[in-house]
Amino acid sequence: MLRIENLTKVYPDGTVALVDVSLEVPRGQFVAVIGLSGAGKSTFLRCINRLVEPTSGRIWLGDVEVTGAEPAELRLIRRRVGMIFQQFNLVKRCSVMTNVLSGRLGYLPTLPSLLYRFRPEDIADAKANLERVGLLEKARQRADTLSGGQQQRVGIARALMQKPELILADEPVASLDPATAHVVLDELERMNKQDGMTILCNLHFLSLARRYADRVIGLKAGRLVFDGTPEEIDDARFKEIYGEEAIRVEVA
Amino acid sequence: MSRDKTRSAVIAGVLAVVPGLGHFYCSEWQRGIVLMLGLPAQAAILYGVGLIWLALPLVLVWIWNICDAVCLASGGKCSAALAVLLLLAINLAAAWQVTQVHIPKLEPEQRNVIRQILVGLAKPDVAERRTREQTAVAKYLVPGIGAPSVLTPVKREPGEPVLKVSPVKAQKGDRLTVIGSGFARNAPTKLVLLGADEVVVAETKTDSSGRLNVSFRNPRYIPGVYFVQARVSAPVRGWQLSETLKEAAPRMVETIYLALIGTALSLVVALPLSFLGARNLMSGTPVLRAVYALVRTIFTVLRSVEVLIFAVIAVAAVGIGPFAGVLALAIHGIGALGKLYSEAIESIEHGPIEAIRSTGANEIQVVAYAVVPQVVPQFIAFTLYRWDINVRMATVIGLVGGGGIGYQLIQYMNLLQWRQAATAIWLIAGVVMIMDYASAVIRERIG
Repeated sequence: MLRIENLTKVYPDGTVALVDVSLEVPRGQFVAVIGLSGAGKSTFLRCINRLVEPTSGRIWLGDVEVTGAEPAELRLIRRRVGMIFQQFNLVKRCSVMTNVLSGRLGYLPTLPSLLYRFRPEDIADAKANLERVGLLEKARQRADTLSGGQQQRVGIARALMQKPELILADEPVASLDPATAHVVLDELERMNKQDGMTILCNLHFLSLARRYADRVIGLKAGRLVFDGTPEEIDDARFKEIYGEEAIRVEVA
Repeated sequence: MSRDKTRSAVIAGVLAVVPGLGHFYCSEWQRGIVLMLGLPAQAAILYGVGLIWLALPLVLVWIWNICDAVCLASGGKCSAALAVLLLLAINLAAAWQVTQVHIPKLEPEQRNVIRQILVGLAKPDVAERRTREQTAVAKYLVPGIGAPSVLTPVKREPGEPVLKVSPVKAQKGDRLTVIGSGFARNAPTKLVLLGADEVVVAETKTDSSGRLNVSFRNPRYIPGVYFVQARVSAPVRGWQLSETLKEAAPRMVETIYLALIGTALSLVVALPLSFLGARNLMSGTPVLRAVYALVRTIFTVLRSVEVLIFAVIAVAAVGIGPFAGVLALAIHGIGALGKLYSEAIESIEHGPIEAIRSTGANEIQVVAYAVVPQVVPQFIAFTLYRWDINVRMATVIGLVGGGGIGYQLIQYMNLLQWRQAATAIWLIAGVVMIMDYASAVIRERIG
């Protein structure tokens, strides 16, 4: 469902973030992307929905080519791709409900949405999604009154509003404590197993990748250095991805 | 910078007779250019303002220039502090002369003005005793054709004040004496000759037992009966707002409203423009970057021209009055608010923008959902602050004809009504202080 060919990204300041990455992800797979900070994981995810413009290479989502899509077409593609962020990226001063509803913007005509008017079925949908992440009773609160884990669940509800086929999760649990991290990742797992969404998830910790992912890809200095199942990562592979000095740290 | 050891100190010193040339010889380009252009320019300025004697210390700077060149040739470098201090001293002395700073010898008239203003400030004309007017009428006769030969007495109720004129017959220019009793004590009194062309013929005060004794010259020559009325302002219980305050307070309100409309107009224009002047929203394509640069340039130009200058132009364009003031405040405010708004937009978190964009929202929706909620509190704070500034500016604008309290103030001054002027100054100070405090409190709440 997702095909990436020879993806390369060089930033204007000369930083080489991705070098010739090729990858194919079948529908319904839970893929963990691991690697050191600065290995290009975030850039990799952002190239897929073109929040970051790739320098070269081609990306297909299903039959549609993402690279080279016109702005209007690109927005239609982005609707199909939900995104979850390390810093949650909620609009802090807005209510939880508004934050969730904003996930629907790609489906709405501009004018009514500017007046913060949403269709009744969207509002019902938002309530259902908030219920799903267990935060319905917080709907009217301001987003910044919630804890980190709660904010990330609001972020998930927002992504769910898009009814996406693919979820890009950029370090979704790096700002959370281990217990909360599992709540969030369990939710991602449910979206993967129950709803059949394909998931690309950047993770710091190999242990989390082992626990949740069907497949692990390793990035190092922008290059794809590993592609396989979590079980295949032995000490040698680990050092290849994380460098010689790395020590394996386990998160329960 | 490479220092060549083979340079001759003598050559450097000789060349430095022309300021800066010695420095060029030693490859000290910056100082060379400054000295070569700066010393003649300084000399020209002193000559221009007619202070040639100050060229003497300038010679010291010239000597420093030669020493420095010699030092440089021998591989050292003199401190510029000495030259800078000398130049500063020269220019301070010149400025003192040019601006004619002196302790003025005050003429008696000027001293009187200052005293009146100080008295006015100490005793502003805010409230006055409530008064009741007591009146009494007396008659006199200018004899001739058509005039009655005898006067009938004035009817009056018992207990009312009495007024009498003597003599009862008078020609033009004759002195008439008016005697009255039964008035309030020590009360200011006006003596008025009634008629279609009412005229105040005398002003006086009643004495400590409520009696009146005043004389005037008869201004009438047409034969007939004339009525002279005494109007005594008797103080009663309580105070009332002074005439000055009744006159100035509406002007003060006008100033506050003038500032409000000025702020509102600049808000309406600056608000949409500020999004085009925010770098983080306008960095996508070269076209957007060009628009960004253009908008920011407009803001800078509008902001850097003083409100007062816009006001002078506006008064010339639309005439004296509050509308000229509104225009001036609005135009300057677009630049000032626009810059603040743009900077507020530039300082927002980028994360929510990315998040909303990733949902497939278009750019307008991204602004509405990710940018606007983040900047609204700051926008409100900046706008309040601008209003606060504009109230202060509006008073100054009034002085050049922009309406409001400032215009009233300059009128009082021109009419030499110092106490009224002082009252207006107090009013301005009070309102500005309150606005300043209130806007600070509100801004703190929002922030």
